[in-house]
Amino acid sequence: MAVDAQLDQKETDQGACCSDQLSEEEMASRIDEVIDTFSGVRGALIPVLQTAQNLFGYLAEPVLKKVSLRLNIPYSEVAGVVSFYSYFSTIPRGKNIVRVCLGTACYVRGGKEVLQSIQDYLGIDVGGTTDDRVFSLEIGRCFGACGLAPVVMINDHVYQRVKPSKVKDLLVPYRASEPCGEEE
Amino acid sequence: MEGQMRINSAKDLEKRQKAAQKSRPQTEQVIHLCAGAGCIASGALEVKDALEKAFKAEGISVPIKETGCLGPCARGPVLLIKPEEVFYEGVRPEDAEEIVKQHFKQKKVVKHLTHRNFSNNQQVDTAKEVEFYRGQARIVLRNCGYIDPLNLDDFIAVGGYSALAKTLSDYTPEKVVEEIKDSGLRGRGGAGFPTWLKWELTRKAKGTEKYVLCNADEGDPGAFMDRSVLEGDPHSLIEGMSIAAFAIGASRGFVYVRAEYPLAVSRFGKALEQARESGLLGDNIMGTDFSFDLEIRMGSGAFVCGEETALIHSIEGKRGEPRPRPPFPAQKGLWDKPSLLNNVETYTNVAAIMDKGSGWYSSFGTEESKGTKVFALAGAINISGLVEVPIGTSLGELIYDIGSGIPGGKQFKAAQIGGPSGGCIPKQYLNVPLDYNTLSDLGAIMGSGGLIVMDDDTCMVDVARYFLEFVQEESCGKCTPCRVGTKRMLELLTRITEGDGQEGDIERLIELGEQIKDTALCGLGQTAPNPVLSTIRHFRHEYEQHIRDKHCEAGVCAGLVRAPCQSACPAGVDVPGFVSLVGEKRYAEALRLHRERNPFAAVCARVCFHTCEDKCRRSTLDDAVAIRGIKRFMVDQEVTIQLPEIRENPSNAKRKIAIIGGGPAGLSCAYFLARLGYSPTVFEAEQRPGGMMVQTIPAYRLPRETLAREVRMIENMGVNIVTDTALGRDFTLKELRSQGYDAAFLGIGAPVNMDMGIPGEDAEGVVQGIDFLKQYNIRGSVPVGKKLVIIGGGNAAVDAARTAIRLGAETVTILYRRTQEQMPAYAEEIEEALLEGVKLKTLTQPIAIEKNGVGKVKGVTCACMQLGEFDRSGRRRPTHSDQQNFIVEADQVIIAIGQQIDTSHFAGELDIHLGDNRFIKTNPLTGQTSVDWIFSGGDAASGPVSVVSAIGDGEKAAVGIDQYLTGESHAFWREEKVVETSYDPDAEPVPYPREKIPVIGTDRRKNNFEEVERSWCESVAIRQCERCLRCDYGKTPAKSGSSVE
Repeated sequence: MAVDAQLDQKETDQGACCSDQLSEEEMASRIDEVIDTFSGVRGALIPVLQTAQNLFGYLAEPVLKKVSLRLNIPYSEVAGVVSFYSYFSTIPRGKNIVRVCLGTACYVRGGKEVLQSIQDYLGIDVGGTTDDRVFSLEIGRCFGACGLAPVVMINDHVYQRVKPSKVKDLLVPYRASEPCGEEE
Repeated sequence: MEGQMRINSAKDLEKRQKAAQKSRPQTEQVIHLCAGAGCIASGALEVKDALEKAFKAEGISVPIKETGCLGPCARGPVLLIKPEEVFYEGVRPEDAEEIVKQHFKQKKVVKHLTHRNFSNNQQVDTAKEVEFYRGQARIVLRNCGYIDPLNLDDFIAVGGYSALAKTLSDYTPEKVVEEIKDSGLRGRGGAGFPTWLKWELTRKAKGTEKYVLCNADEGDPGAFMDRSVLEGDPHSLIEGMSIAAFAIGASRGFVYVRAEYPLAVSRFGKALEQARESGLLGDNIMGTDFSFDLEIRMGSGAFVCGEETALIHSIEGKRGEPRPRPPFPAQKGLWDKPSLLNNVETYTNVAAIMDKGSGWYSSFGTEESKGTKVFALAGAINISGLVEVPIGTSLGELIYDIGSGIPGGKQFKAAQIGGPSGGCIPKQYLNVPLDYNTLSDLGAIMGSGGLIVMDDDTCMVDVARYFLEFVQEESCGKCTPCRVGTKRMLELLTRITEGDGQEGDIERLIELGEQIKDTALCGLGQTAPNPVLSTIRHFRHEYEQHIRDKHCEAGVCAGLVRAPCQSACPAGVDVPGFVSLVGEKRYAEALRLHRERNPFAAVCARVCFHTCEDKCRRSTLDDAVAIRGIKRFMVDQEVTIQLPEIRENPSNAKRKIAIIGGGPAGLSCAYFLARLGYSPTVFEAEQRPGGMMVQTIPAYRLPRETLAREVRMIENMGVNIVTDTALGRDFTLKELRSQGYDAAFLGIGAPVNMDMGIPGEDAEGVVQGIDFLKQYNIRGSVPVGKKLVIIGGGNAAVDAARTAIRLGAETVTILYRRTQEQMPAYAEEIEEALLEGVKLKTLTQPIAIEKNGVGKVKGVTCACMQLGEFDRSGRRRPTHSDQQNFIVEADQVIIAIGQQIDTSHFAGELDIHLGDNRFIKTNPLTGQTSVDWIFSGGDAASGPVSVVSAIGDGEKAAVGIDQYLTGESHAFWREEKVVETSYDPDAEPVPYPREKIPVIGTDRRKNNFEEVERSWCESVAIRQCERCLRCDYGKTPAKSGSSVE
């Protein structure tokens, strides 16, 4: 089943690693394999794009063109879908995606202050990536961990009850580690 | 065992169920470890590893089952040990060894890991006793926390898939729909559309290719019940969707899950595989001709995809934009085929209904709304997490009985329910049942069940702005009302929260909101204005405060707040300013800064109820800065009183202004008028000025010389105080006018006692609290009985009690009908009173005062009370309990249950309007009454509040009077001062704790009125100052107080 393949992919390729080892051309060739796993699936465009996003960290233009050709969907439509969903990015992102939850519970429990303090520490705005491409900063709208607000999600790991004064302790291990580090 | 046996018939399922049950004897010990995303984030998996290691080391083998959400996320990681049902919370890996050794070897409960109930502070061992689980009815969550979601046999053992088997063998599709109809199930995704009707329409739709779709795009921030079902009981969803597929004649289905839930996606994916392997999904399920299979589709981070037509577009691989309906998905859905779309919670109910029958299901809930609803409790609540209750449970029960109330001693303010499409419910409605109709009457919706509790630290305007920002970001942009309309609304709200709000903004918001509701394309757009409209409806005064007063009481809106403590102070004192100056030993400057906004520094250092400390941000770290203690130290350093800046003004000096009433409001009004060059005259009815400060506040709290010094300061500024001259007795308002007074301030307080309305109040020996205190404080003596009973729970009651103790009463008993926590008196005062020997009987309602033969009081008959439903003040209403009435003996009874204004002094003279609360109605910004030259404030205008509120009112009225007379505002003291003190923003906060204000021993308090509180020594005070986090640091001075329209 294609979706299961997509799930497996997600498990092995947590976060957005390996992106800088591949050139955009190499990505375009690897996307072929991805598309093959979805052959015969109706409405495959979004699952294909999700898998590619997980694999490469972002969706480069050659990749999208290839997807358009292979799935026989006009490029304008592919680009329309990519720009519609916030999950997709067309520019390279950092190795670690830091998402600060600003869902209601986190917001009323001080998520805004946590965001500010991460912005100050990383020196980037929301949507930005650090110069060394270690971190990208995004806003999340509820990870469903409201009981533990405010929370921050780094890659797939949820950190609970984050205090603005302690964000440094949270981020430093990711900076020191290899990409995709999942340690506490 | 897994996958061993394919299930080809209902018999096979039965066999497998029996086998599964046999391999799981109920008597064997097993640990249920919550592995919901919440507990995993709290470290549940590390706990599991540690437990396994510890078991190995001890050579014991106890299975550890990773289950779905057990509920109380905030207490995680949690675990439940079966069969004894012992519940442990906050378990850390370090605790593993102790659990294994003590619980499993010595068979003793590990007490420190058990739950402590909030209501009675009792440790309880088992889950049944945990208050959080009481009142819950788990249908949707029936298996969450009880089975291993990744083990199909575990699910089958508890009866899983038997409802499907029953449906396939005993039911026709029509009968399934009928059963659902009889159950009264309504859509749990938000709108509450009758589920059976959707099913019926899809069943009847023409075409052979149909789809069953599940909305698991739980986009409402604050809702996580769908996630918990997917993670904790995925097979129940598969079973429910299969039954739905059978009912409508579909053979394929999709579950649309948000990408933010990786764990849910992976667990549900595994469940699908298991179901396929066992023949529970696929062709000819259980040997019938029913075939069905399911696929997962992941969302890509678009909130609008929670709307049904947008979701369908997204599954088709398109932009998730909604389209107009009709046609409804039941006619034209996925790939234009008839499609049934329900959410996770709705489908999860289905198998339970088919299994136990519609009659059983509809026995839960209310007349109009059947069954149960899952709520995700979050925000300012002691136990946040997932709860399932019968529909119709009240909001108060949910928050207080199950969620254990609001943490940190804060007050409940509102509950936001229904996310960006919903609204806020304020405390007046704690008692309303949570059902579809009641909620929509209140301007909220049931929504998906996210319930965010907000305390008084939340600004409702900011909340509305937050939701609009959310909607604006998530608007798909297809229709103009939503795309542009919400943007305009957001601009208005942003302007208001930044302090640039204008008159008419509220009306503009309402108008725009109503238009968007009427014209937006999809449900999300139509409901987008709800958070704004509902906050305007219930909290309009907060909007007005932001717009007119440029004030955010909650201390949230950055543009209006320098520091939350300052915003919380009714007088607007620059708290971080004076605290940092004291920290640098610049005492005179500190005091001068304090008196910029509040002349009664020394008084407030003793009697203030310090709202500043309630809002102190340091309390999120450890405890609030002891601001009143610092103030006390500061005022004690003053040797000669300094006069504040006075701007002389010859034309103002000629104007005649009368201040009627020499209490804190009147004197403060006079103080600020004097600073503008006026020379007002204060008329005080009693022999000494000070109002309640001298008449009722006892000298052991406020030494008379302290008060006199600050009153003298005001006199020295050119204020003339005339005592023994009362309105209505010695002069009238009209006379003042004819004597050439240009304006008057009515600060006459609320000195009239309220009667209880019970038999025997006329007995000899029954006195009123205010009269008792006044007589002692002004005349110097008052008759005091031996056995005293005081009725009431406010400051007057406690003051009277402590005064009576000092005057030699043998026993003093306070009777109060609610609980100690609900007493309006200051907590510190109650504590000291108890230390001094005052007895407190709460939940006690006096119903009669007993007299002896000569008409003298001999006791009070009391009824025992218990707390019942929530009243409009958001507190539980005391109701009579079954316990027997009893008599408290007494030879004197003091009644102090509330005060009123005495309007007889000016009644009939001028048309001064009263408000709904029977106090003088004023413009909250200027204190102006309905008679343009008369202003008012303090207790007379707001009812009995506090000294510092009266001071704030006096200041506002002074500015209002000046504006009335000159047409301009000259309130120079409202300009924020830049305080040049050193502060290192990068330094870690100092670790010193909050310190208590020292008090003299209780043995030294008898028979005298010596001041109880003492001052700190310098080093303690300076250390306390250093605890301030300097929230004001780097902030440009906030916009100064408003100008008046």
